[in-house]
Amino acid sequence: MKLQIYASKTMNKSLKKERTSEAVQCYLMISTQLIGFLVLTIYPIIWTFRWAWYSYSGIPSLTKYVGWENFITMFTTDFTYWKTWGNTLLFALCKIPIEITLAMFLALLLNRKIKGSNFFRSMYYMPSVISVAIIGLVFSNLFNYWGWINGILVKLGLISSGIDWFATKQTAMAVLVIGSIWNTFGINVMYFLAALTNVPEELYECAKLDGASKSKTFFKITLPMIAPVFQIIMLLSTLGTLGVNEYILVLTNGGPSGQTFSVMSYLTKQFMPGFAESSTPALGYGCAMSLVTTVIFAFVAIVYSKFSKKMGSLY
Amino acid sequence: MKKKIYIENAAAYLILTVILICTVFPLIYTIACSFKTNSEILLHPDMVFPIKPTLNNYITAWNSKDFHVGILLWNSIYYTLLNVIIVIVSSSFAGYVFARGHFPLKKTIFACFTALMFIKSGGIGIYALFQILDIIHLNRSLWALIILSMFSVPIVNTYLVRGYINTLPKEIDEAAKIDGCSFIGIFFKIIAPLITPILATIGILAFQASWNDYIMPTIFTLTQPKQRTLIVGLMALKNSSGAATSWNLMLAGATIALIPVLGAYAVANRYFVSGLAAGAVKG
Repeated sequence: MKLQIYASKTMNKSLKKERTSEAVQCYLMISTQLIGFLVLTIYPIIWTFRWAWYSYSGIPSLTKYVGWENFITMFTTDFTYWKTWGNTLLFALCKIPIEITLAMFLALLLNRKIKGSNFFRSMYYMPSVISVAIIGLVFSNLFNYWGWINGILVKLGLISSGIDWFATKQTAMAVLVIGSIWNTFGINVMYFLAALTNVPEELYECAKLDGASKSKTFFKITLPMIAPVFQIIMLLSTLGTLGVNEYILVLTNGGPSGQTFSVMSYLTKQFMPGFAESSTPALGYGCAMSLVTTVIFAFVAIVYSKFSKKMGSLY
Repeated sequence: MKKKIYIENAAAYLILTVILICTVFPLIYTIACSFKTNSEILLHPDMVFPIKPTLNNYITAWNSKDFHVGILLWNSIYYTLLNVIIVIVSSSFAGYVFARGHFPLKKTIFACFTALMFIKSGGIGIYALFQILDIIHLNRSLWALIILSMFSVPIVNTYLVRGYINTLPKEIDEAAKIDGCSFIGIFFKIIAPLITPILATIGILAFQASWNDYIMPTIFTLTQPKQRTLIVGLMALKNSSGAATSWNLMLAGATIALIPVLGAYAVANRYFVSGLAAGAVKG
């Protein structure tokens, strides 16, 4: 009896010891990440929160507490920030419908089990692996005043003289949308194709037997079946498009006169060392803008997930 | 009936091929332009292939004083390689710990790390990082950026590794545990060899991300142009000179920057594609 108790006690002890040793080893393995998380993530967030209530540009003597003033300026007098949101939305509204339709259409074609579909798929995906900075360079070369697009349009007689693509907001935006679709449509083709191959073949056979037309089959069978993936694609596409940053900096740099800045590229251009024109940017104001931006992005993600749950229950 | 399918397939091929040409053309044009003289690029933009192909752009770029491709290339190479190693080690450790480890606060820590994915702040926190770097007397440089990446949380990759380890049977490591293997020992002796496929995917993703990285290396090499990576150097060239004067150099540089990524894509295509799952987690 005594021996048994002794045995179980030592067992417990050794088990406890083992547990502690495992916990120590776990913490050891993620120690760099934990330190990094506290120092490189949490601290900058706290920093941003703090300075949003200050007039601060890195110079100690000019720093002073201003309360809500940064936020008040932002919402009542300085509308540049909100204009960049307008540009971002315009960009998203032009890009996403075209890209999603194109990707879906191509995925449907590739899903016909034609030869070489793998080859097409990987070629479509190729632009997604390239640096957006390089993509900006490639497209500013193509759409340059002396570039290929103008050259070919003149040669075909469509226009009499070259268009300065980056001189007006509409044309600059068009170039941005074209380049951006070129960059990412392949990813969506991949997603749609993966979703389409998961639709059971029998459903299509049944529809065929019932004499359903092609468009009816698409809307009544294909679309509902891929709805969950469709929602994920839309979310990724929306967040990715709204967050567009260095691509715009490289291609138009906000031009003409700041009319094509997206939110993220505007913030980078205003406050990042190396991008900002001023060497002492108004950091306090920038912190306020960053906070508002973060909240808006979180809001978009939450609203979207609520909304898409409702959409899912429709089917 | 058969004829109809035949026509439909032909139409499908036609559309797919047109899109294929649109996809490949900008790249082919860029690469072709890198073999033209600057005046040819500007005078005959509608010609795709060079009239008199020349390697001069590459030679000039290699010898140029302000755009020394050799140094930029070397910076890009070591920056990318070190980052790949760091990401692989760091995310496989974290993935293993969060998949198999038992320790207090596990769920909380993982939730905090996950929340990172949803924070898009516009990057102003970089000034707080500079403060920290000043405190530990680390100058802003490419090396400082590499050290920072040692301490960062590669959350998407951690998710990938964790998901992969969760599919492995637990009995293997329990057997090893009974044989007296420690928690870390199990990782190196048993888990690590089994997760190499997912590590290849992560390695490819990290390679692509750091090779293509633009904003962070720009900020960190601002005062040290000698440490610029290829992408940063290219963009600096685009922004500095009256752009029209050096298209040939820029496009030669762009081609050099494109080759490793496109080469890797040609060879390891399937790892890139399986990395798409990462995008789905990323949100």
